[in-house]
Amino acid sequence: MTVSEAPHLRAAVPPNEVAAEEGWAPPVWVPTRALGRTVLLTGLLLVLGVALGRVDLVLLAAPFAIGAAVGLRRMPRSAPELRIDADEDHIVEGGEVEASVTVTNPDVINYDLVVVRTRTSPWLRLEDADRPFAISVTPDGWTAVELPGTAVRWGRHAVGPAAARVAACGGLLACRPVVVPARGVRVYPETEPFAATEAMPAAAGLVGNHRSRRPGEGGELAGVRPFAPGDRLRRIDWRVSLRTRDLHVASTLSDRDAEVLLLLDVLGEAGASGGVKGKASVLDTTVRAAAAIAEHYLQRGDRVSLAEYGSTARRLRPATGRRQYLTVLEWLLDVRADTTDREPHEHVFGAHNVSSDALVVVLTPLVDPRAADMLAGLVQTGRYTVAVDTLPEGAAPPQRSEWTPLATRLWRMERENVLGRLREHGVPVVTWAGAGSLDLVLRDVARLASAPRGR
Amino acid sequence: MLNGIAGRIDRTRTAVARATLLPLLVRAGIGLAFLAAMLVAWPATLVVSRYVVLLAVAAVYPAFAPRGRGVTLTVLAVVGGWIVDTTWYDARIALWRLLVIATMLYAGHSLAALAAVLPYDALVNPDVISSWLVRAGVVILGSAVLTVVALGLTAELAGGAFVLATLVGLAAAVGVTLLLARLLRRP
Repeated sequence: MTVSEAPHLRAAVPPNEVAAEEGWAPPVWVPTRALGRTVLLTGLLLVLGVALGRVDLVLLAAPFAIGAAVGLRRMPRSAPELRIDADEDHIVEGGEVEASVTVTNPDVINYDLVVVRTRTSPWLRLEDADRPFAISVTPDGWTAVELPGTAVRWGRHAVGPAAARVAACGGLLACRPVVVPARGVRVYPETEPFAATEAMPAAAGLVGNHRSRRPGEGGELAGVRPFAPGDRLRRIDWRVSLRTRDLHVASTLSDRDAEVLLLLDVLGEAGASGGVKGKASVLDTTVRAAAAIAEHYLQRGDRVSLAEYGSTARRLRPATGRRQYLTVLEWLLDVRADTTDREPHEHVFGAHNVSSDALVVVLTPLVDPRAADMLAGLVQTGRYTVAVDTLPEGAAPPQRSEWTPLATRLWRMERENVLGRLREHGVPVVTWAGAGSLDLVLRDVARLASAPRGR
Repeated sequence: MLNGIAGRIDRTRTAVARATLLPLLVRAGIGLAFLAAMLVAWPATLVVSRYVVLLAVAAVYPAFAPRGRGVTLTVLAVVGGWIVDTTWYDARIALWRLLVIATMLYAGHSLAALAAVLPYDALVNPDVISSWLVRAGVVILGSAVLTVVALGLTAELAGGAFVLATLVGLAAAVGVTLLLARLLRRP
């Protein structure tokens, strides 16, 4: 009989790699120049005092020797610990942010001086965050530096990295700087109120909030018509049937839900962002408008999806409800201007990727010719498309020579030309102005949708 | 050249605009402590002459560069002045002068150690400075008591120096220095 060897098993969980996680060598306590000075002066004064037979020189050395002995009676053993805390709540731009940097002393000696420095994102106005803080920490204790402030723009903003340098033993020993990586604070865009009263041009499913223009199962009464094979018995309108001596059924309009695709043009950023109370740049308008439109349609029970028009081509799948609204807000935080020269993936925005019934709202500054081409392409494939112009008022390139104003005027004329041609192709272009911005064009698009399709 | 000067002026202006009170006070303390030590240590005839400007510059320099070697050189200059005054000018070793010099030298050294790690634009918790000063004060008090006792003893035991005592004293001096240096290497 042979005894089979037990199979070699290994742990399914990865091993604990603490050292790799830290990423830097553990900090070391190093002597400062003050300690070198102490040793040098003590030695020199003592030797001189003895050599010259002078007690006074020995007494001059006494404070240095006593100071060093008192300071170094206990040596630090471990490194200070540093932690950044930042708000996890839902912060909206313009709202208050609470951040703090905590220094913990796990050692048996007092940290005489801890200098804490922090870097923060320019869009977080934290009180005195650009200054170093000097604090002391007792043994086995901690001290926190509070950094209250406001968030002035949407996005993911960093609090940190923070660094702490500790001096102990009366300034005779110092610790190499301890650095902790930055912590992100999510600041959600402030949505401008938006409401569109017009019906959706087309709907995909058979249930939803929008009264469709097609007869079907629903709640809205469309009329009474003679009974036809296939009609459900409970739809028979008995009063009309008795009066006319013929079977009649009440027909209703079907309730539909709609898909809204918000296409964000991130090919370029223009205008300087002034934060929540200042001027809005292209991306500011894009993100705030997208959040407002998404909020509006999601509240009505429609499915909303988002996509970026740029080389990264991020997409958010269509879904509905409050959960999707939060996902949309989270997704919008990562909107960045596309600075690479790579071409946007055309196939991503091809006709097969956009549902034929979807309402496509393109938020674009119409600065890049590729965006206009994309818009024209969408309309040509029969999508219900609305363009929202996000270029800020008075956006102009920086003044480089005396010809710049002229070039800017030429560029503006060319852009007007593009807008006109787009309108000719049936792309309504509206400037974003908050509530009711899209009402007029949505009515036009809805009218377009009721007409027979195809060309 | 001009750009360099303009840049330096700009940096200085920014530094002055950003500086906070407590680090400035610490640096002022360094300057005052070393100035007092310098004026007390050097011979009175030099102190009242125009050379006092040189002494003042040497005393105040560490306040501007507390991280450099200037602090050590200033302390050595004070000690040099004291040795010159008591040997060349044959001044009496007065207890008050010795106490003032020892106190001011240690205060200047301790404040320079603080200023070396304290950025000029830091927001300082006052506890940091007060506990630092208390610690320095305890050391100064201890050594002042030692000074008074030791000077009293030497006045009573005054006698001619002999070679064996000098050798023992030298060994003790080297021993104390090595002990201080070894304090660091403790586990």
